[in-house]
Amino acid sequence: MPASFDIAFTLNGVKRELNVPAGMSALEMLRDKLGLTGTKYGCGEGECGACTILVDGRSMNSCLLFAADCDGRELVTIEGVATTPRGERLRDAFVANGAVQCGFCTPGLMVQASNLIERQPGAGEAEIRRGIEGNLCRCTGYRKIIDAIASAAAGAPEGANHGQR
Amino acid sequence: MGSAETKPGSDPKRENRGLTPSTLIGKRIPKLDAPDKAIGKTRYIHDLEVPGALHARILRSTQVHARIVSIDTSAARALPGVHAVITAADVPWQRPIGVAKDHLPLKTDRVRSLRDEVAAVAADSEEIAEAALKLIRVQYEPLPVVATPDQALAPGAPLIHPEPHGADASSPQLKSAGAPVAFAGKPDNIAMTFEYAQGDVAKGEAESDFVVEDVFKLHYVTHCCMGVSGVIAEFDPNGNLLLYSNTQVPFLHKREFAELLGIDPARIRIIQPPIGGGFGSKLDIYPFEPIVIFLAKITRRPVKMVFTREEEFLASPTRQPVLLKLRSGCRKDGALTFRTVETLHDNGAYTSWGATTPFVMMQTISSLYRVPHCKYLTRAVYTNNPYAGSFRGYGNLQATFAVEAHMDKLADAVGIDALAFRLKNAQEPGEVTPQGMHFKSCGFKDCLSTAAARADFLKKQAENRARWKDPNPVKRGVGIASMLHVGGGAKIYPSDGCGTILKIDDFAHVTLMTGASEIGQGSETVLSQLVCEELGLPLSAVTVVNNDTDITPWDVGVHASRTTFIAGNSAIGAARKAKTKILSAAAAKSGVAEDVLDLRGGCVVRKDTGEKLFELGKFLRGLHFSDRAELVMTTFYYEPPSKHQDKEFRGDVSAAYAWATQVCEVEVDTQTGIVRLLKVTGAHDVGRVLNRLGIEGQIEGGIVMGQGYALTEDLMVEGGVVKNPNFRDYKLVTAPEIPEMDVTFIETMDGEGPQGAKGVGEAPAICIAAAVANAIYNATGTRIYALPFTPENVYRALHGAAKVPSWSAAA
Amino acid sequence: MGGLETFRAPRSLDEAAEILRAGNVTVLAGGTDVMPQSRIGKLKLQPVLMSLRGVPELKGIREAVGVVRLGALVTISELLESALVRERLKVLWQACDHFASDQIRNAATVGGNLCNASPAGDTLVPLLALDASAVLASKPNGKVQERRVPLAEFFTGPGRTVRTGAELLAAVEVPLPPEDAVGEFYKHGTRPGLDISAIAIAFAARREGQVLRNVRVAFGAVAPTPIRAPRTEAALEGRAPDEQALEAAARAALGEVHPISDLRASDWYRRELIHNMLKRVVTHACKL
Repeated sequence: MPASFDIAFTLNGVKRELNVPAGMSALEMLRDKLGLTGTKYGCGEGECGACTILVDGRSMNSCLLFAADCDGRELVTIEGVATTPRGERLRDAFVANGAVQCGFCTPGLMVQASNLIERQPGAGEAEIRRGIEGNLCRCTGYRKIIDAIASAAAGAPEGANHGQR
Repeated sequence: MGSAETKPGSDPKRENRGLTPSTLIGKRIPKLDAPDKAIGKTRYIHDLEVPGALHARILRSTQVHARIVSIDTSAARALPGVHAVITAADVPWQRPIGVAKDHLPLKTDRVRSLRDEVAAVAADSEEIAEAALKLIRVQYEPLPVVATPDQALAPGAPLIHPEPHGADASSPQLKSAGAPVAFAGKPDNIAMTFEYAQGDVAKGEAESDFVVEDVFKLHYVTHCCMGVSGVIAEFDPNGNLLLYSNTQVPFLHKREFAELLGIDPARIRIIQPPIGGGFGSKLDIYPFEPIVIFLAKITRRPVKMVFTREEEFLASPTRQPVLLKLRSGCRKDGALTFRTVETLHDNGAYTSWGATTPFVMMQTISSLYRVPHCKYLTRAVYTNNPYAGSFRGYGNLQATFAVEAHMDKLADAVGIDALAFRLKNAQEPGEVTPQGMHFKSCGFKDCLSTAAARADFLKKQAENRARWKDPNPVKRGVGIASMLHVGGGAKIYPSDGCGTILKIDDFAHVTLMTGASEIGQGSETVLSQLVCEELGLPLSAVTVVNNDTDITPWDVGVHASRTTFIAGNSAIGAARKAKTKILSAAAAKSGVAEDVLDLRGGCVVRKDTGEKLFELGKFLRGLHFSDRAELVMTTFYYEPPSKHQDKEFRGDVSAAYAWATQVCEVEVDTQTGIVRLLKVTGAHDVGRVLNRLGIEGQIEGGIVMGQGYALTEDLMVEGGVVKNPNFRDYKLVTAPEIPEMDVTFIETMDGEGPQGAKGVGEAPAICIAAAVANAIYNATGTRIYALPFTPENVYRALHGAAKVPSWSAAA
Repeated sequence: MGGLETFRAPRSLDEAAEILRAGNVTVLAGGTDVMPQSRIGKLKLQPVLMSLRGVPELKGIREAVGVVRLGALVTISELLESALVRERLKVLWQACDHFASDQIRNAATVGGNLCNASPAGDTLVPLLALDASAVLASKPNGKVQERRVPLAEFFTGPGRTVRTGAELLAAVEVPLPPEDAVGEFYKHGTRPGLDISAIAIAFAARREGQVLRNVRVAFGAVAPTPIRAPRTEAALEGRAPDEQALEAAARAALGEVHPISDLRASDWYRRELIHNMLKRVVTHACKL
């Protein structure tokens, strides 16, 4: 049996204790051990951003992070971001601006955008583009994602009303 | 009873005003599935856990071309947690899959490419399965590698499929006839040949004042769906198969899997979880799917397999790489006279849809512009390389790249500007081309003029050209290209139709069951919109069911930019039947003539005054709970009025055709070879805009995919080996690189289209590389004939150090 | 098999050095290289994986008597956010701005980048041009000791440095350039970041009127390690950066680089880029 470790950390505001195998990534821990599937596997080497989470308030690729190294840290996933006012604003902006197509890259972009807006509240077009350079999207051509983040950064989603049913 | 039931509202004035007609068409409608996707709630195949499922991994060849001498799986089988290890020997009844049925899922005595499946494991976890793979010993005897089509055609070339391979016909599982039990093999390396001719090219050439000929080389790229491939297979005790699949063509695959297993297709159910991108990649069956089914059958457990990203690069399809020789001519007045085209398609080791891209390529050659005389020949040639599938645009990016380069070269030769030359030869509404395509609606000339005007194309082109000798090493260029693509389905199968089942419940909530799959493109939103438009309901009144073959009616699948057009017409058909049923009952109940009634704002109203007669939910309850109890449920099957091509490839294969022109502006750094795409000005004949937000997203995404094809993406295949199976070295376009995009929609209101719309999914990706090539020429005076325009390739071309594509051994 | 057996997270430099002394340790900082390299088998994880994250001595950016000390755990994002780095170590700041993506910049550390010792490592080239030194810590005799190695002597090959298994990279020390220094970093690629450079150039100097002094030039991705280019520097030293001097420097550079062909670029193209872009970098740095 490969070695495993007991770790304690905060996940989406809730304290967690967990036993994780030595080589496990934070991404695998979140998806396979904790069932938080909003964080996606896209490449496993930090090139696509689909697995972006917040660690101690900074966005990181969870595929590059050892689960064991999460001990004592504060993790926030898309499931956590989604319940914050900023996350809700971003969700509405992504929906209203047509920033979602297949949606596979979207949770990672939401988390990255949330971090971007928090750190650079006045981010403009250029800053937003650079801010999401680590998130690949194959469907949208990024235009509407950039627009969505800009609109969320500016405050209000553009006439968002996604509440069907 | 029997009298119009008008319920006084709280605002009598408003009541008196009635309901005026309102429309959803052309509005910006957010995608119905977007909120869940945005917050990570959507469950893709990777996120599904079927209780008791085993996890599968596949052992792939380490050799590009070799004989399999022996496979020893004993150590792998002995590993704790391993439930099954299979090789071809364990499934003697397996049949070849793919477009030419030349591909056995598990290889028997020969591997023909590095992706080839040699063995597979089902285990309690992925880690155990992976560990088991490492314990399998395979002995190979290497065979000479065929690395290029030229090598494949050389006399005495090693053969890729010299002997028959397939199922052991004596296997008891092979009771049913149908699919080939074995691939017969090929005495040469030619997988497929396509020949088409119109007019007399010799006559055309004799009439030409100018003739140009060039060889173009189009490279490998791949889909890079953000969600990697995956499948879950599960048999019930009766032997019925349940597949969770990412397929874009569930009903076709139901049949194919049934043939493969030798069972009745009725015993196969396919559920399609939301997918992380398709772009054509999921139109064929790939070996991992049958292999997972085999494992599920053998272990009697659900089996799940999800690719790694590296595997996705190695073992999912590519776009078709093409070597293309084009000879074109025109008269002094600028009229095109002829085109002769010969292409070599690198088929790879097996045949998938890439080999059949000539269907689309010859349409662009023969019918984008008026050309009286055409000759077209493609040979798709087996090599030991990865094999190409279908990919957004389906050969059209390649054909358009060549055609539009020659449009510029001929315009220059004649001395007419690039726009005027194209306008002179452009198709017009009403034309029937020699290939039999009937352009009932055609906004091509509008597209050309609009894009050129909005981009200030002619002025910029002249200015850039005047700066060729300028000392500034950074040059600007502008280029134009146009495209023709099917926009009303494509009749390739016995039917190009789609079915709809529609029910409206007691609360006026609509369930729309459609055969058309949602692959992220927004089909469920646009279909809901079309239904609501007919029924006068808000979008919130619709639920779409589109992902379960046991529920949804038949559809060919998501391909050929057909879903909005075909499934849209089908949904409208079902909605209209429901509307007729409701209005006829309302007429009977109210005594108001049926043709004076309409559905608006969730009510039955008088068409002329908008006066509310019934609230729809209440009216439907009245129908249901009456002594002649009735529910409103309708079905509709839409078959487009298109025709199959005949053996000579002639026929009006689509019910409508889409057109577009794109102008690309680039900056070329001549000291580094870096080309930046600054702006794309597009004009698209889309028939009519249905969901503005959705169609913009399709166009923008397509433009950037085209940008990747032109500038950044390059699947490097050397000697059958993919050198860059990762996002570090296979470069998708990232957010900082995207161009400014100016898109205009030309609304030609197609008579057959749903609300006048035509298909648009593939169109925006098609012209970019062609327009960028023309722009680089405009910037530098250097024409580059091979893609991609990555910095080193461009730098080499600009400094005379590039290898110009040539047509050699293939001759 | 063997492989990973235990995970350690020391709380002090002393404790970390002690764990290292015991041997068989893979040192983990940001993890952006260790994780993917261990997954593909490029890096074999030792029985002990030691995360440095809890070691306070390795953190922070401090300025003291003309030297800026960058703790090995300082992330690329922290470098980017440092006014001191932005204003006084501009060439390093520019390299950080071209470094991968925000997510990776938030995790990756300057120490990790140096120890990974990629010939194309983004911060290596500017730090070489800034005459930086590596501070290596170890605990040979029950006491933590430090030694300083000039970065020009630190790298010994792709992925290899002079750091021994018992040593920890504690910090990087950068002599503070004079206020009037000029500098410029260039990384070749089509993306602003998230790209592995085909070539990288760092140039630093002082201007005395028209004349360049204290010229330092470093190149990345053109040799087994990032390199200083003394002959290129000599060609510019004490000269005004006119076309003649630039061409002489570019030619000298071609004599100093030994690029290979790989899937990112051919040796020929890398040499062309060194020639063309060195001239542009110097020109741009001097705002000619």
